[in-house]
Amino acid sequence: MTLMTNSNAPAAVAPELLTGSNPFALLGLDANFALTIEVIEAAYFAKSKQWHPDNFASAPAATRIVALSNSRALNDAYKTLKKATTRAEALLAVSGIVIGDHERLDATFLMEILEQREALAEARAAGQLNVVTQMQGAMVARRQGLVALLAPAFAAGDLNGAKQHLIVLRYLDRYLEECDAALDEE
Amino acid sequence: MLLQISEPGQSLAEKAECKKRVVGIDLGTTNSLVGYVKDATPTVIAAATPDGANSALVPSVVYYAADGSVTVGRAAVAAGRTAPARTVASAKRLIGRGLDDVKAIAASLPYALGGDAQSVHIKIGERAVSPVEVSADVLRHLRVRAEQALGGPVEGVVITVPAYFDDAQRQATRDAGRLAGLEVLRLLAEPTAAALAYGLDRGSRGTYAVYDLGGGTFDVSILKLVDGVFEVKATGGDSALGGDDIDRAIATAVCGSSINAAAVAAARDAKEALTDAETANFTVAADGSPTGAAITRAISRADVAGWIAPLLDKTARAARRVLKDAELAADQLDGVILVGGSTRSPMVRDFVRALFGREPLCDIDPDQVVALGAAVQAEVLGGGVQQVVLLDVVPLSLGVEMMGGVVEKLIHRNTTIPCGANQTFTTYADNQTGFDIHIVQGERETASACRSLARFALRGIPPMVAGMGRVEITFMIDADGLLKVSAKEINTGIEASIAVKPSYGLSDEQVEQMLVDSFEYAEQDLHDRNVAVERIEADRILAATKRAIELDDGLLTDDVRAAAAVAMAHLESVCGGSDYLAIRNGVAALDLATKPFAQARMNRALDASMRGKRLDDVEQNVNS
Repeated sequence: MTLMTNSNAPAAVAPELLTGSNPFALLGLDANFALTIEVIEAAYFAKSKQWHPDNFASAPAATRIVALSNSRALNDAYKTLKKATTRAEALLAVSGIVIGDHERLDATFLMEILEQREALAEARAAGQLNVVTQMQGAMVARRQGLVALLAPAFAAGDLNGAKQHLIVLRYLDRYLEECDAALDEE
Repeated sequence: MLLQISEPGQSLAEKAECKKRVVGIDLGTTNSLVGYVKDATPTVIAAATPDGANSALVPSVVYYAADGSVTVGRAAVAAGRTAPARTVASAKRLIGRGLDDVKAIAASLPYALGGDAQSVHIKIGERAVSPVEVSADVLRHLRVRAEQALGGPVEGVVITVPAYFDDAQRQATRDAGRLAGLEVLRLLAEPTAAALAYGLDRGSRGTYAVYDLGGGTFDVSILKLVDGVFEVKATGGDSALGGDDIDRAIATAVCGSSINAAAVAAARDAKEALTDAETANFTVAADGSPTGAAITRAISRADVAGWIAPLLDKTARAARRVLKDAELAADQLDGVILVGGSTRSPMVRDFVRALFGREPLCDIDPDQVVALGAAVQAEVLGGGVQQVVLLDVVPLSLGVEMMGGVVEKLIHRNTTIPCGANQTFTTYADNQTGFDIHIVQGERETASACRSLARFALRGIPPMVAGMGRVEITFMIDADGLLKVSAKEINTGIEASIAVKPSYGLSDEQVEQMLVDSFEYAEQDLHDRNVAVERIEADRILAATKRAIELDDGLLTDDVRAAAAVAMAHLESVCGGSDYLAIRNGVAALDLATKPFAQARMNRALDASMRGKRLDDVEQNVNS
């Protein structure tokens, strides 16, 4: 195995601090829900190559701090964009729409999800892991169905519709986290 | 030096010695290795073994003799047969651990353990030896081996650790490096190191699973490689599961629950025999004593596969979890890489093949692949190569304890580092003036089930109604994986922060004390090192002189030939001794004695290069 020696020394890069909370802009991408994971990843990898702190190990302290901060911002932006739900929330945020902690919910849905969570807690307490696994499977399928509605909503410019889906998805994700916690315990 | 002038064979690498002399070390449970990048190729450093073979593997075994001397490696294994109670193996299973953590394996260890819930130590006669010291002794041995091969002191090292090591285990490993006189540039996850070695070898792109079953630890990681970027997608495992457990499972199946070290050794021998044969004999004295009646039983691969199934099922669970965390299915992988000595076992290979539904890759020696990858990363950090970027992750979630002992996670496992997170908490009592912050690591929901990393307090909050005081807690992790936590009360701006240095029972002061204590050894150590370095220089100049004489005997005058012969004979005689100053003087004397000869060779080389050229050409060259 042979190592390539370096040609494009990153030390020549001016220490420009990446700022702002728009993850699309941080990775140099258009704010668009339909970005593929390949495009997001390629942008992230290219920027990470430029800014990873390991490439600045012998640079002046100020440059090292900038590299660390940029690298952290890039990691965070990538984490946000690679997942459909967080990418959608970021896109709404770019348009000034924020999902708060106390959004109004459809009462029927609220009742239903509360009951589901109770059932999950009971199965968990009884150690019925196969039941938990079943519940998890059903919820994963339901979640997928809802995530699939995001792309058409954004394509049609229906930001409020996307927002409503995302609010429900937050509840479904919390339910799935509890499934994971139950299954991790054994 | 002058002798080299007319030898065009000198590599460019030797001339460009401006970069750091760095190595990568795989500090294993069973065996350890050291490697470095030689002429752009990662390579492990082998040494002759007593049986005449050449091996890069150094058994991670240390023998502490009653006279205070320390022996490492094969010699320590040999000593262990007669003095098992003074011989420490598998220290990696104990490092950064408390007594409770290692209860399960204590009975099958040939040495006695002591210590408390925070840290375990090994009782050697009257002395208590920390696993950190044992690991430091192994590292020191590897350092000396590397310095002999590289011809000078090691200036930086990358040490590999299981990806699933928690912060306490990592900190303990880092301290062991420091204790061994090494500058630890980075701790690198073993599966990542393996992927580095594979990725560079194949120049490949793709997503790989690394299944790493070592002597005492298990890791499984998913990595994506694209054009010099190595992204760890997810990692998981069990830092207390490995070949040692397989040995114990076999021993238990044959001998029943009260197994001893002899039964475990017999199990290991049988397991190793099964690597090449369908059946093997398990032979051990029934009570472990040399005089007891022997048990001999033929065991087959199928027997062992059945006995170790529960252990391998644990690895399957971890593998499924990392696939889920990486949001991938097994059939989306481009390959499965095997790492660790335990993956030599055909029973393990069959299991991995079935688990991932494909033939695993093992074309780089699974014993060497981690050290080779560590050497690559050392080269990157030492400034030699810059086209590799490693995007590593936090292996275990980090959070704070809330009221009621519940953990609130701020940074989830498999988050890419460097990273940061913050969250705001409110005061829970009226007129609460302080806020205690307890930082923990782990996946469990209660703080007591996670590993405690550090505690600190924010004081001086003015009295307020419950819920009015708002404290923002910020976690920051740098590229080395080191965690800093700060807390700030938002209304008043009062702040406190801590750099989390996980405690595993040894304080900074204790480590410093160990360093001071080791100065007695260190003097001897330094002396041995000097001798080794001078010997290398002496060997080099002797070989170069001999070669020059063979080539250009005609350029020697009789008196120079005689002086050189005397100086060479003298140097050869002092070279065998341990007086490094004598060797150094001998080298200088030989240099001096051969100066006229070197001058003659240089003049001739200059003549040769000027021949056929016009004089103004030469002048130009001289001026430029």
